Amino acid sequence: MNVGLQHYLIVSGLLFSIGLLGVVIRRNLIVIFMSLELMLNAANLSLVAFSRYNSNLDGQVMVFFTITVAAAEVAVGLALIVALYRKRQTAHVEDLTTLKF
Amino acid sequence: MNYSLIIVEITAVLIGLGVLMTDLWISPAARKGLGYAAAVAVGCLLAFATGSLAPQHGLGFRDSFVVDDLARFFKAFFLFGAIVVILMTVEFSSRIASGLSEFFALVIFALVGMLFAASANDLVLLFVSLELITVTFYILTSFQRNRLASLEAGVKYLILGAVASAFMVFGIALIFGSANSTNFRVIAAHQTELATSPVFLLGLLLVLAGLGFKIAAFPFQAWAPDVYQGSPAPATAFLAVGSKAAGFVLLIRLLTQAVPQITAEWSRLLVVMSAATIIYGSLCAIPQRNLKRLMGYSSIANAGYLLLGIVAMSRSGSTAILFYLGGYFFTVLAAFTAMSALAEHIETDEIAGLAGLGRRSPFLAATLTLSLVSLAGIPPMVGFFGKVLLLRSVFESAPGRPDLYLLLGIAVIGVVISLYYYFGVIRSIYWGGSTPNLAPIRTSLGTKVALGTCIAGMVFLGIAPNGYLRIAETAIGGIDSAAGRLKSPALKKVSAHEAH
Amino acid sequence: MVFFKYSLQDPKLHLPQAGYEAKVKKMDSQLNQYLPVLMLLLVTSGFAVSTLIISVAAGKLGRRTKTKDIPYECGMLPEGEGNSRMSVKFYLVALLFVLFDIEVVFMYPWAVTYKKLLETDATLALGGMLSFMFILLVGYVYALKKRAFDWKS
Repeated sequence: MNVGLQHYLIVSGLLFSIGLLGVVIRRNLIVIFMSLELMLNAANLSLVAFSRYNSNLDGQVMVFFTITVAAAEVAVGLALIVALYRKRQTAHVEDLTTLKF
Repeated sequence: MNYSLIIVEITAVLIGLGVLMTDLWISPAARKGLGYAAAVAVGCLLAFATGSLAPQHGLGFRDSFVVDDLARFFKAFFLFGAIVVILMTVEFSSRIASGLSEFFALVIFALVGMLFAASANDLVLLFVSLELITVTFYILTSFQRNRLASLEAGVKYLILGAVASAFMVFGIALIFGSANSTNFRVIAAHQTELATSPVFLLGLLLVLAGLGFKIAAFPFQAWAPDVYQGSPAPATAFLAVGSKAAGFVLLIRLLTQAVPQITAEWSRLLVVMSAATIIYGSLCAIPQRNLKRLMGYSSIANAGYLLLGIVAMSRSGSTAILFYLGGYFFTVLAAFTAMSALAEHIETDEIAGLAGLGRRSPFLAATLTLSLVSLAGIPPMVGFFGKVLLLRSVFESAPGRPDLYLLLGIAVIGVVISLYYYFGVIRSIYWGGSTPNLAPIRTSLGTKVALGTCIAGMVFLGIAPNGYLRIAETAIGGIDSAAGRLKSPALKKVSAHEAH
Repeated sequence: MVFFKYSLQDPKLHLPQAGYEAKVKKMDSQLNQYLPVLMLLLVTSGFAVSTLIISVAAGKLGRRTKTKDIPYECGMLPEGEGNSRMSVKFYLVALLFVLFDIEVVFMYPWAVTYKKLLETDATLALGGMLSFMFILLVGYVYALKKRAFDWKS
């Protein structure tokens, strides 16, 4: 089988959908966070694939930035979740009920 | 390469790092002084950025960074906002348990993101600058670590913000795939062909979703009320003023500069988005009892009004956005500065807690009232004139477009509804029933100066808007939205493909 | 599936200006063009939903014994609780590691192209990386002074 751009894009679309579904239906903040990383990496995969098939390295540069931004997001996010856990002894979204009218 | 183009941004980074480092060697008591020093430093930068020594026009870094009238307008806007927010934080400092200096540093880092966003001419820079803003706001939002509401607001903002940025990266990937470039100029040069590519359109839609999240437009508005309610007041103010304006400058650049033809085709979508945002924000604000949450819904409604300027797809529309943002700036900052001054004396954020404020502090009561009156859009305040400009710009584009007339009707209904809930707050301030505590509230000199400036700005722009309007028109003048070309002389010289 | 107006199977160079004008084919109708996108959406969401359903269904249907339910069916027997607490110090160090580690991402491409960069723009080649390292250094000093690396405190 000849693997072409479409195949990469389909895999990337699959990963993105799995990640989005995980964010929507999972209840644990850590798992939600992992799903978010999956979504970002799905986008990275398609960027790299496009970069290869367009013979344009700009896409790969974008991937570097995405990776760095994702790392910063993870650092801040985990710190937040840990702080919330210490305060509330939970990491489940159903328990985030303070802010309601 | 012309490094002097980013001199303002470099200086802002250095100020931020300086604040962070200085804090390590000074006593905790001196931290308020550090805040004033940071405000003065940003003030000097503002003076430099608006002066003639700063870069006026230019394009650099492989066409990804542009300095034009629009960029300079927004840079001044963000710098001014950061100064007021830093001063507000000094007043608010008793409520921030630890890390006051870090709060100042983070405000300045968010400011750096906004400065870059004002000049972004490439999807990569757009993404990185937006993320710099968003990630710093995750921390600012949840800064009061021992207040559960603040933490929860931070976590909600984090999850929804991360989803929005994932959509945005995926959208950028698709745009890059179909256009083989992430540069706005290249995209603008090829937009006729790209308009027929479904992959490109899907990518653009995803990027719009990411930007829609930033400005809290329907259907990406869910975070706004919670985050506004939970965050510390200075962070909320900066979120309302800075983050929203950064979203709008990028929307203006992307929609009216990079892909004006596609925007014209998508006008129906934008009309629906604007109308839904106005209706949602206005209707949900009615039953609110928490003042900060009310401001959250009000900010959603205001995002809807600002979208009117994009829908108009004309120069007067973009000018109206700039004018409205300026008025919104003074109004929101006045409201939140008053709220953070009150925070020490009134334990609750509930609207009912404002009862008796008219007697306890006539000055703060008057400020809050004036800013709510301006938000409601009543003459002679600036909010009125801004709304008139936005509605007029849509009206000018409306002939032959029944959907725009419908949108105008919805906007007017939204304004009428907003009168109801804003006046609910004012009623509570002056005629709010009995209150146990009638001790007068003293305000510090810094707060008085900041509030005085904001009130003066609100009233002055409402009574004599022409000078500021001309500045806004100059800022927009660099963009020829109808032809989809860049008109600014500095941009004309560089060929679109030279960088590649 | 045709996603693009220019051929995708050929990985050779496709500059936009060469590709666009030459190979634009007019489609029959506007809606036809969205078919691949629609199919992609259907396939991806269908796959995601069905995987979840299948894993739950298969888990319920399958035979379950005590040996099958332990984490490693053919491995060592697990000891202690799965979610035992770690000291929060590990977490802080891990976080700092991630933050400083990821910056290497920018140093690799820089190191590879360094000699070429020296010929074109020497200020950018060294100054750019030095200023980047300077910002990292400020972060490092901050962590050091805040005693983030102290194990005993």
